[in-house]
Amino acid sequence: MSAQEIVFENVSKFYGDVLGVNRIDLRIPPGLTSIVGPNGAGKSTLMNLMCGLIHPDRGEIRVLGISPREPERLMRITGYATQFDAAPRWATGFDFVASSLLLFGYSASLAERLAWRALEQVGLTEAARRKVISYSKGMRQRVRLAQALAHDPQVLVLDEPLNGLDPVVRAETIALFRQLAAEGRHVLISSHVLQEVDAISDRVVLMANGMIVAEGDIRGVREEIHEHPSQFLIRCAQPSRLAALLFERGPVAEVRLLEEDGALLALTRDRRAFTRTLTLLAAEGLPVETIVPADENVHALYEYLIGGSA
Amino acid sequence: MAVYKRGYQRYEGPRTSHMARLLVMPREAWRRVSGQRIVTALIAVSCIWPLLCALFIYVSNHTELWAGMGGDFRKLLAIDASFFLTFMKVQSVISVLLAALAGPGLIAPDLGNQGLGLYFSRPISRLEYALAKMAALVWLLSLVTWVPGLALFLMQVSMAPAGWAAEHWTVGAAVVFGFWQWVALVALVGLASSAWVRWRLIAGAAVLGYFFVLSGIGVLVNAIFRVEWGDLINPLRASYGLWCVLAGAELPRGLSLPTALLALALMGSLLALALERRLRPVEVVR
Repeated sequence: MSAQEIVFENVSKFYGDVLGVNRIDLRIPPGLTSIVGPNGAGKSTLMNLMCGLIHPDRGEIRVLGISPREPERLMRITGYATQFDAAPRWATGFDFVASSLLLFGYSASLAERLAWRALEQVGLTEAARRKVISYSKGMRQRVRLAQALAHDPQVLVLDEPLNGLDPVVRAETIALFRQLAAEGRHVLISSHVLQEVDAISDRVVLMANGMIVAEGDIRGVREEIHEHPSQFLIRCAQPSRLAALLFERGPVAEVRLLEEDGALLALTRDRRAFTRTLTLLAAEGLPVETIVPADENVHALYEYLIGGSA
Repeated sequence: MAVYKRGYQRYEGPRTSHMARLLVMPREAWRRVSGQRIVTALIAVSCIWPLLCALFIYVSNHTELWAGMGGDFRKLLAIDASFFLTFMKVQSVISVLLAALAGPGLIAPDLGNQGLGLYFSRPISRLEYALAKMAALVWLLSLVTWVPGLALFLMQVSMAPAGWAAEHWTVGAAVVFGFWQWVALVALVGLASSAWVRWRLIAGAAVLGYFFVLSGIGVLVNAIFRVEWGDLINPLRASYGLWCVLAGAELPRGLSLPTALLALALMGSLLALALERRLRPVEVVR
């Protein structure tokens, strides 16, 4: 198994009669990966499995070559933030982060330095000496993130990390995730809010009913779904003419003129031939302004694969 | 496809020892426990009885203070197994009160916050977590049990005529080992109640109930059904029986050492099992 990937091989986990995850085969390379699915899809179970908090009933998991049954080694390379409001309320934000570092075996002085760095990364320096009980929901989310980041882990497993954050902090946090991923770490986040992961992820893992329904980069997944024609939003100064030409020359299944001035939606089952035709039409002088794939996003994938919106 | 610089470098510097890491949790728990005024007040109150006992030992060993008194008075002032067993009885009650105050705050908040996952995503096992939390309670209970007990015993040894220590060394062993057994049992009850009962007040009441109500039920069972197996659910009687054996004193009527040991083993196992069932990193909602 690869020492650079998180690998699930035929992993199943049941809680008594209740299905957690079933027959999961998955390889997660470095980068920002989002695990998406409705409540009860198995996202948290998948995360808990890779952190060694629970063990599979069947199958094998390796996190960068380390088995989750070796917690002493695994915990050094993983940082975990639960979706729950788990920070102890009686502790200050700084104490919470620093004591978690002491548990990892850092000396008191190094723990203090790393705790301040992590709190700075999540923008909590000023509130660090306040007790967690006085924090807002967003601040509690950030302090959990700080404790997950503080020991500089190679694998970050973050359960619903963007919940409760205001737009500014959300943008800063996303930028932090991108930066951590760009350093070559594995950043795994779970979410049931599709729009937010669509914008930030290198790859998505779509889950439903304890199973993976799709995984990979969003475009790759979209291209594999043949039963739904691809949708393109096109802006053109002559939309009616373009629609007629597309029907005449291009492999289109449907074209809709939108109410918005100069916009039309084209559906095709042959993306390559379609884009080739459009390129030719533009070269012939048709004033095509923009072409945007309309369903290369997690939301569309979700609807196609799972059949509902989250 | 993203291109990664792979600039990440893992920390490879020195780390503290495993034991040093484990002590982080008891230190934290101790800070919280000792920060409660009512606990501090009870610890202060718990010193009264040991101080009275120390005074008694002092008076007992200074014959000039009671010269001229009769033989009965001399017998009354004798320091023997029964003196230390009485001391242990009183302090054991205080230790239960302390556990009822301090125990509920140890695990319940972590469970209530669903925070166990955070602990167990560190290099810490469930057993180590339980032992670390228990250590804070053990340390607290030690302050009112075997520490003053041992101090009293040593005081008596230092003041008593030569030969007393050789004759009564089993009493010292009973004070130390008997209290260790007691502290372990009380701490287990404190932790188990904290793990199972979320509300502090009710968890505290559960600790008191375990020792006093259960003991009462044990006595009633024995009396009503004219049996002896009521002792199996009587933690006070079982522990006292063990202390008596250790101190070389007579066992309470109707209680045998095997019954006391069986009762204590049974209680310890059930309490450990109760803890094991609750200390899961992930709560599964069925």
